[in-house]
Amino acid sequence: MFENAGSRLKAWLVAGIGTAAALALAGVLGAFGAKHEPMQLLAPTGRIETGQWLLRPLRAYTAEGENLYSAPLKPGAKALVFEVEMTNRTAKSSKDYFDILQASQATVDPSSKPFIVLTRDSTLSPELHPGMPERMAYIWELPGGSAPPASLDLRVIGKTYKQRDNLYGLPGWFNPAPVGTLTLPVGAGSDTANIQP
Amino acid sequence: MMRKTANIVLLLVAVAFCYGLQLSKPHYGDLIGPIPTRGRTGETIVGRNFEARAEKVVFARNLKADRYGETKILTTGGVWAVVTVEFAARAQSTSVAVASWRGPTGLAYDQTERMSFADGLLPVTIDPGLPKKARLVFELRPDEVSNAILLISEKLMSALDSQAEISLGPVATASDSLPAGTVDTLDLTQPM
Repeated sequence: MFENAGSRLKAWLVAGIGTAAALALAGVLGAFGAKHEPMQLLAPTGRIETGQWLLRPLRAYTAEGENLYSAPLKPGAKALVFEVEMTNRTAKSSKDYFDILQASQATVDPSSKPFIVLTRDSTLSPELHPGMPERMAYIWELPGGSAPPASLDLRVIGKTYKQRDNLYGLPGWFNPAPVGTLTLPVGAGSDTANIQP
Repeated sequence: MMRKTANIVLLLVAVAFCYGLQLSKPHYGDLIGPIPTRGRTGETIVGRNFEARAEKVVFARNLKADRYGETKILTTGGVWAVVTVEFAARAQSTSVAVASWRGPTGLAYDQTERMSFADGLLPVTIDPGLPKKARLVFELRPDEVSNAILLISEKLMSALDSQAEISLGPVATASDSLPAGTVDTLDLTQPM
């Protein structure tokens, strides 16, 4: 037993030094730094780039569920509407805009998905074409009986382009990650003014 | 010693060879892509299951269509392009569902999804010996109009299946940056 004590000590030392070296190297390479970066605050009067999309927030308001771009809301329901000008930055027509905006849990039930409507002719979630800005409305149904929120907090999610994905070897947009947060004042009624021209 | 050096040299040669193969050989995505059949406007393009012949392209500022009995005017931020294409099946009945417009800079514009209620658009079902015409409607930027290529395939993932590639040729531009001969409102309720 005692004749092995030296080699055991040596093994423990080597393992300890190796672990410490690995942790130190990971720290130098930034493995622990990315986690606690605060979310970037995005200016509502500006352009926001999410990789695939260029967003220009226009206005947010609450309204009764009538004539809201023909969105199939429940009768009498209140809705929170966020209007935004969206430009497809990619080379292909796309409708990959369902998950780019996440409303905060305080205002909207997180399980409810918004209706996304082209305001030009009330088409429900059409493909948007490269380089053609279009005004779109995200319409969340508010839970019944809740007071209309004074401000809308949105988390903007972006994706990154990969020339070849790992499964099919085809190009695409992957790895959704938050770009920042956006706060807009919420007006009352659909005659709310735009916050930028 | 000699033997060791030879092994190392052999290993390096193998690494260089494999890297060269990786750089020069086509990737999986290119290998399983659609098989193009090329032609130009007015020619009949023969694919594996269908034939297509683009007859004419009309540009318009607005489109007029019927939606459940009411007339609807569709506006656009760019310009509408309506291509009339005659389709024919070859050996068996099939349907053609997917078309896109590839502009001179490589931007790909899919058919508009704002007209899903209208008649005479894709998808079109075709039977052998019974040619059928259909309209392909695109919403384009005015600078993507000239020297474009129309891509038509049976379905979205047309891997290893034929895809018609129709060169639409140059289009003159008028003073308002829209293509020459752009009509103000094109009536899609009229027969093709």
